[in-house]
Amino acid sequence: MNYLDYVQMTKGQQIAYNLKKFFTGIPGAIKNLFLVIGAFFGNIFKTIGNGFANYGSRFAKGDIGTKLSYIVMGAGNIFHGQVVKGIIMLALEIGYFYYMAVFGLGQLAKLYCNNVPITDAQGNTIAIANGVVGSVPSTIEYVGILQTPQTKFGDDSSVILLYGVLTILITIAFFALYIGNTKSAYATQEIKAAGKQPKSIVQEIKSLFDERFHITLLSLPVLLLLMFTVLPIIYTVFMAFTNYDKEHQPPKNLFWWVGFKNFADVFYSDPATSRTFGKILVWTIVWAIFATFTNYVAGIILALMINKKGIKLKAMWRTIFVVTAAVPQFVTLLIMNLMLRDNGTLDTMFNTQFHFLSNAMNARITVIVVNLWVGIPYTMLITSGLLMNIPEDLYESARIDGANAVQQFTKITFPYIFFVTTPYLITTFVGNINNFNVIFLLTGGGPNNDTSYSQSGPTDLLVTWLYKLTLNEKDFNLAAVIGIIVFVITAAGSLITFNMSKASKNEEEFS
Amino acid sequence: MTNTNAAQGGYASKRKAANVAVYIILSVMSVIWIFPIFWLLMQSFRGEKGAIVPYVFPKQWTFSNYTRLFNDPDITEAFPYGKWFLNTLIVAIFSCLISTFIVLMVSYAFSRLRFKSRKTFLNLGLILGMFPGFMSMAATYNIMKAFHIEGTLGALVIVYSAGAGLGYQVAKGYFDTVSRSLDEAAMIDGATRSQIFYKIILPLSKPIIVYTALTTFIGPWTDYIFVSYFMLDDKENYTVAAGLVQLTNATTMYDYFTLFCAGAVLVAIPITILFVIMQKFYVAGVTGGAVKG
Amino acid sequence: MVSKRKRALALVLTGMMAAAALAGCTDGGGSTTTSSSTPAAQNSSAGGSEGSTDAAATTDILSDAMVNDVKDMLASEAKDGKITLKVWCSSSDLQFEKWLKDQFIERYSDSRYELKITPSSVEEPDVSSKLQADVSKGADVFSFPDDQLRTLVDTGCIAQVSSILNENVKKENTDASVEVCSIDGVPYAFPKTSDNGYFLYYDKRVFSDDDIKTFDGIISKANSQNKNVLFAMDNAWYNAGFFFTAGCESSYDGKTQTTDFDSDKGLSAVKAMAHICESAGSGFIGSGGDADVLAGFQNGTIAAAVTGTWNGPGIKEAIGEENVGATKLPTILINGEQQQLCSFGGYKVEGVRANTEFPTAAQVYAYYVTSEQSQLYRYGGANVVKGKDKDGNDKVLSRGFIPTNKAALETEDLKNDEAAIATNEQRPYSKPQSIVGGKFWSPQGNLGGSILAAKGNLSEDEMKTQLKDTVTAFNKASDNS
Repeated sequence: MNYLDYVQMTKGQQIAYNLKKFFTGIPGAIKNLFLVIGAFFGNIFKTIGNGFANYGSRFAKGDIGTKLSYIVMGAGNIFHGQVVKGIIMLALEIGYFYYMAVFGLGQLAKLYCNNVPITDAQGNTIAIANGVVGSVPSTIEYVGILQTPQTKFGDDSSVILLYGVLTILITIAFFALYIGNTKSAYATQEIKAAGKQPKSIVQEIKSLFDERFHITLLSLPVLLLLMFTVLPIIYTVFMAFTNYDKEHQPPKNLFWWVGFKNFADVFYSDPATSRTFGKILVWTIVWAIFATFTNYVAGIILALMINKKGIKLKAMWRTIFVVTAAVPQFVTLLIMNLMLRDNGTLDTMFNTQFHFLSNAMNARITVIVVNLWVGIPYTMLITSGLLMNIPEDLYESARIDGANAVQQFTKITFPYIFFVTTPYLITTFVGNINNFNVIFLLTGGGPNNDTSYSQSGPTDLLVTWLYKLTLNEKDFNLAAVIGIIVFVITAAGSLITFNMSKASKNEEEFS
Repeated sequence: MTNTNAAQGGYASKRKAANVAVYIILSVMSVIWIFPIFWLLMQSFRGEKGAIVPYVFPKQWTFSNYTRLFNDPDITEAFPYGKWFLNTLIVAIFSCLISTFIVLMVSYAFSRLRFKSRKTFLNLGLILGMFPGFMSMAATYNIMKAFHIEGTLGALVIVYSAGAGLGYQVAKGYFDTVSRSLDEAAMIDGATRSQIFYKIILPLSKPIIVYTALTTFIGPWTDYIFVSYFMLDDKENYTVAAGLVQLTNATTMYDYFTLFCAGAVLVAIPITILFVIMQKFYVAGVTGGAVKG
Repeated sequence: MVSKRKRALALVLTGMMAAAALAGCTDGGGSTTTSSSTPAAQNSSAGGSEGSTDAAATTDILSDAMVNDVKDMLASEAKDGKITLKVWCSSSDLQFEKWLKDQFIERYSDSRYELKITPSSVEEPDVSSKLQADVSKGADVFSFPDDQLRTLVDTGCIAQVSSILNENVKKENTDASVEVCSIDGVPYAFPKTSDNGYFLYYDKRVFSDDDIKTFDGIISKANSQNKNVLFAMDNAWYNAGFFFTAGCESSYDGKTQTTDFDSDKGLSAVKAMAHICESAGSGFIGSGGDADVLAGFQNGTIAAAVTGTWNGPGIKEAIGEENVGATKLPTILINGEQQQLCSFGGYKVEGVRANTEFPTAAQVYAYYVTSEQSQLYRYGGANVVKGKDKDGNDKVLSRGFIPTNKAALETEDLKNDEAAIATNEQRPYSKPQSIVGGKFWSPQGNLGGSILAAKGNLSEDEMKTQLKDTVTAFNKASDNS
C-alpha cells in the first residue's frame, strides 16, 4: 500500500488498516524475535570461533612484544611505545591474580564440595552429601557450668554462592580485558610496522572524551548495574538449581546442587497452584494495560489543561499535584486503605456500605483508580516538560494554515509526545506488571473471600503472589524458579513490543 | 473586515469559555487529589488517640504530634525521627545528584553516540529491570558486607544510584528530539563530543533534568522495605520511611498513628520545596531558534 | 504509578495489612500434640510444687544464696573484663525492659567485670528475619512470639536452652507454655507471657453474664441494641477455632501439614460458620483488624469483639475501664449442640542467639527476665513498677502481660484479673500455632471470607467444593475425603 492510497482512505479505514498491520505483524515479530535470538547466539558462537582463530593468528604473526603480552599483559603496549597504557594493563593483571589468590579461588573451590557431613539441629551428623556449596558444617559446643550451647557457624552456602558468582563475573571481565590486551598489542604492532606512532596516553585520554565518549559515559553506570542488578539476577538463577528451601536455610544448614529438579517440581506440583497461576497471569496483564494507559492519557490531558494558554497560576496547579506525589506512597496508600475499607472513612461519611475493597470486581476497579491518583502527577510532569519543548512556530504555522485546536493536538502535539514517550510507555507497562506497592499496600492482594485462589486473591499480581509464597514457605529455590519463568515471559513480551515499535525503528525521525 | 473581527471575537469568547471549563475541571481534580493529603494533615493535628476515626476534623487540635516526634524522650528513644529525617535528607541529596548524573550520561550515550553494542545494551536495559527481585536484598547486603560498608548510609546511596542506569527512557526520548544539526554545527566548529554534551545538550534539557532530579530525590523518602532489611536493628540509621512504618504495627498503631501522620506530612516538605525551587528551570527555553537562519 | 527505582522486595513483613490480618503470626511448627487437656492451669501433672526452691534436679540460680555463684560464672566468661549483651524487645516494652536490666545489673555487678546490657527495640514479628539477615549482628537475648520458633530453629539462629536451666523452666511454668517453647522435644526458649492469644471483650453495659454464653446470644443481644459483635471470620487465626471445635485435628512436622479438615467434621464447622454469617450486618461484623475494633468501640458500633490484650488499653479508653468485661470465647451451635469455640493460643517467649559470645550470661539473663518475680513486675498489680515521664509525673512501666509462671498465676492480682481469668478459661480450648504450617493461613482465611461474603448462603455442594479447594491448598500429604 503506498502513501497516496493510504492518505485517500477514510479515518476508519486507516485505523482498521493499522490494526490489521499490527496484528499480522505479531507473528512476524515473534519470528523475528526468534531469528534475532538465534542470530544472537549464532553470533556469539561465531565470535568465539573467530576469536580463537584470531587469537591464534595474532600470536603467530606477532612480534616479541605481542607474544609476550599473551602472558604478561601490557607487554605488547610497552614494547610498541604505549608505556603508560601497558603499565596499567599489567597492574590490572597483577590485581586480578592477587584477588584470585587471596579470595576468589577459595570461593570457587567451595562451590562444589564432596563428602560433606550434614548435621541436624543438635549437631549430630545425619547424612553425607555431595555437590554441596560449602564444606564446613556448624558445630555446637557446650560451655560453662550451666552447659550452655554455643554454636560455631560453618560455611554460609548463600554467601559462598554469591561470592562465587561474583568471582565468575570478575573472571569473565578480566578475560575480556585480556583478549582486548592481545588485540591492542597486535594493533600497535601493525601501526608501528606501518611507520606511524601509536596513540600516546594523552591522546588516548582525549579520545575517551570524543570518539570513545560512550565508554566514559557508560562505565560507571554499567559497573554499578553489573554489581547490583546483574549479579543478583545471576545469583537468583543459580539458586534455582539448588535445594535452598526451608529445610536448608543458612546460617546453620548447607545446601547443595540438585540440577533441574526444582523446575520439575514447580510444573508438576499441586493443581491448586497451576489453576491460580492462570488467573493471576490474566489479571496481571489486564491490570498492566489499564494502569498504564489510564495514567498516560489522563496525565497528558492534565498537562495540556495546565499548559493551555490563558490558564493562570500554572506553577500552583503543578505544585498541588506534585505535593500528592511528595507524600510517600506507603503513607498515601495506607490512607486510601483506611478511607476505602468497610466501615472506613468514606463508608461512615456517606453512611453506606460501599464495599470498595471487599468485593473482587470493585477491588480491581478501585485499585486502578487509586493507581491513577498515585501516578498522574508523574506523567503530568513528564508531559508538561515535553510540551514546553515543542517549538512554538510549529503551532504558528499550523494556525496560519487554518488548523483548529483539535487538529493541532492530533497532528503536532500528540505524535511528538507519543514518539518521545513510547519507550517510557513500554517500560511503565512492564513496570506495572511488577507493581508491587500499589497492590500490596492497598488490598494486600485481597479481598480474601475466594477459595479458588491458592495463597492469593483476586487483585494479586504475579509478583505479589510470589512474595507471599516466599514469605510463607521460605522455599527460595522454588521462588527463584517461578521468578525466572515470570521474567522470561515478561522479557520476551516487552522485547517483541519494543523492537516492533516505531520509536525503535525510526530513532532519527524527529530530529 | 467585519467578518474577521466577528470571527476573532467569536474565537476569543470560545477560548474564554474553554478556559472557564478548564479552571472548573482543574479545581475539581485538585480537590479530589488533595483530599487524602488534607485528611492526613487533619489527622496530624488530632489530639485523641486511635487510627481510624469516623470524622475528619479533630475534636482536639494540637501541635504536639509534631513536637513529640522531636523532643519527647519516650518517643525518640525508640523512634528517633529527627535523625531519620536528617539521614533521609543526606541520602536523598546524594543519590539525587549521582542518579541524575548517571541518567543523563546514559541517555546521551544511547541517544547521540553510535557504537557497536548499542542495540544490545538498549534491549538489555529494557529487561534488566523486570526481574522480580526480592532475592537481591540478601545479595546486596552481602556485597556491601564484602566491602565492609553494610548498614551505612553511603551504601544506601550506592544502591539507590545503582538502579538509576536503567531509568534513561524518558531522557533518551527527549534527547532524540533535539535537533542533530546542533551537534553537526558544533562539530564543524571543532567541539569534542563531551563538549557538545556539556555545553549544548545539557542546557537544553532542563525540564528533563528537573523531572529526573525530582523523582530520584523522592525515591529515598519512600523506600522502607529495603532500608528495614539493610539496617537490621540500627534504628539510628533508618530513613524516614522505614522508621515511620514502625509506628504502624498492631501494638503501636493506637497510640502513635497521629504521630505517624505528622511525620508523613513533614516528609512532603523538602520534596515540595525542591519542586518549587526547580519550577523556574522547569519552564525551559525552547530550542527552536538555535539553528534557524 | 510504578517507581522504576523500586526493585528489592523483602522478607521483612512490615505491611500494615499483614500485621493487622495476621496479628504477628508467621509460620509455625513444632510439637504435634494439643495443649494440656487438664482444665486447670495450676497444679499440672508434672508434680505439684509451686515454689521456686527445692526438688532434687533443679538449682534456683536466682536465689540470694546463689548470687555469688552466678557472679563467678559471669566472671569466668568476661572478655577483657566486660560482658556485653544486646537485648531486643518491642518498642512499647522498651522502658520496662530497661528498668529490669538495671535491676539485673544492680544485683549481679562485680568488681571483676563490667556488665553492659543494652535493650533496643525491634518489633517481635521482625525478629527472625532480622536474625537471619545477619546472625552475627543480632541481639544476644531477644523476645519473640512463639510461632516464630520453628523458623528460628530451622535457620539455626537460636540456642538450645541449657538443660540445667530448663529443669527450672519446666517446673515453674505452665505445661502449655513450656510446650510451645520446644521443637521436637528440645527446648529452645524461655516462656514469658501467655496472653498473645485472644478471647472475648465486651461492654458490660450492653451484655449481662448470661448473654455472653453463646455466640448466637451475643449476636441477638447486640442486634437488639443496634450494635454489633466483631469476629474476624475471614482471618484464619480466628476462624480455625470452628474446625477445632468440630473435632478436627492438625499437625505439622516442619515440612508438611496434615489435617482432617476435609471431612464431615469439617463440613459441620463450615455450616456453623455459615450460621453465624447469616447475621452479617445485623449484629455481626465478620471482618476487621485492630484498627476497626478500636474504632468500632469508640464510635459505638461495636459492643463486643474477639480480640486480645494488645487492644485492651484501647478498648478501656474507648468505653471506660469499668465497663470493660473479658471472658472466654462463647459457645457455637455446631451439629445441633452448643460447644465451646476453640482458639489459637499465643505466647511471647525469650530466646538466646546461637553464636552469642557470652552464652552463660545470655542464658542467665534470659532466665532472669522470665523468672517469676520478673513476670510479676511485668504484669504490675501489687508489683507495679513506676517511672517518671518527661514532665516528672509518675508513669507506669509495667506492661500488664499475663505471666506463664505457675506461682505468679496464683497471686491475688492474677486470680482477679479478668483477662487472666478469660485466658485461663480459654486455655484448655486453645491450640498452639505450631500445629499448622505457613501455607495454612491464606486459604483458610479465604474460606471464612467466602462464607462471609455469601452471608452464609451457600449450598451444601458449594460448601464441599470450597472446603476441598481450601484444604488442597494447604494440605499436601493427605488425600482424605
